[in-house]
Amino acid sequence: MDQQKAVKNKSDRLISRALRIGVWTSSLLMGAGLLVASLQSGVVQVPEKNPSLMEILSRFFSKAMLLADSSEAITLLYAGLVVLMLTPFVRVLAATIAFGAEKNWKFVGVSLVVLCMLIGELVFSLR
Amino acid sequence: MSISSFLLLFAGGVATGTIGGLLGIGGGVFLIPFLVLVFGIPMHQAIATSIVAVIATSSAGAAMNVERHLVNVRLGMVLEIATVFGAIFGGLTANLLSGDILTKIFAMLLLIVAGMMAYKMRRAPEETEQPGTGILQADFVDAASGKTITYGVKRIPLVILVSLIAGNVSGLLGVGGGIFKVPAMNMIAGIPIKAATATSNFMIGVTAAASAFIYFSHGHLNPLVASAATLGVLAGSYLGINLGRRIHSTLLTWIFIVVLGIVALRMYLK
Repeated sequence: MDQQKAVKNKSDRLISRALRIGVWTSSLLMGAGLLVASLQSGVVQVPEKNPSLMEILSRFFSKAMLLADSSEAITLLYAGLVVLMLTPFVRVLAATIAFGAEKNWKFVGVSLVVLCMLIGELVFSLR
Repeated sequence: MSISSFLLLFAGGVATGTIGGLLGIGGGVFLIPFLVLVFGIPMHQAIATSIVAVIATSSAGAAMNVERHLVNVRLGMVLEIATVFGAIFGGLTANLLSGDILTKIFAMLLLIVAGMMAYKMRRAPEETEQPGTGILQADFVDAASGKTITYGVKRIPLVILVSLIAGNVSGLLGVGGGIFKVPAMNMIAGIPIKAATATSNFMIGVTAAASAFIYFSHGHLNPLVASAATLGVLAGSYLGINLGRRIHSTLLTWIFIVVLGIVALRMYLK
């Protein structure tokens, strides 16, 4: 019984940590984006069309990031928003792993159904 | 967009987040009218912004509640199948409707929320000790009494149905949907109010994420508006929840019920 409770506590910590990391990372990215934007010309141009996930990632990790011009402020903001929107996906994945650690296979299945629905919607939206 | 505009957006986010946290209904209900009526932001963009803010506040709150064992994670996962399905359908439907129609539907939702808040004020939920009957049993330690509360979940098909509707409303109008789920979990399923609120909040982030990328792919997510407002709502919710622990003003809640009614009328006539 005590062992069961210890596994459950560990599972809860895993889920909680996934959520905390997601919120903090996204908040820092969005905060940095707003700061960079405010240190620049005073007027920030928002692109008419949202970039794709791959565009955001490649621009985020490119050297152009260091130049911190107006478009890079936007890239930071997009990166923060995407991290935030993906946080619940990571939370469901963490729950799946946690149920697996508890050997609760029925709920591993339930979590996987939710995860598949989310990934399906993501793929459908961004195709 | 100028720097002063997004400072104002941040301040607006703090204000709406504080009110939402204070009243326990989330920031979206006030954030959307603020964006539409004060900033003249198109309805679809306001909904997309609110959805992102909902993910942030839900994730931050759930991180605390899971560690306090207030969340029934197994129940949350089961109900998420329904809310995610509803949210995807709601998000797709919203992108087929015009901004005017969505604004009118949102105005009606505000009236429903105001009505439910008034009902809740007149009939406060009873926090009785639940016998451990029903499925998906869980327990938590009530911080106020120090007692361990054990409960089971009853009439789950009905709660799944309400969750489906709540998910649909969330995807369609960008609110969390807790206003529907919490009473259903408490009154229909017999879940203690603290566990029901924490479990609903835990689910809201996943529900919102289900429709977030639909709005993103349709180009409704403005990164400046969404980031400034989300950071504001996140700070405001934290402030509101802490204020709510100290202020228990019935009058304040009634004032906001009237404000919601007026905002609903303004949104409908816009």
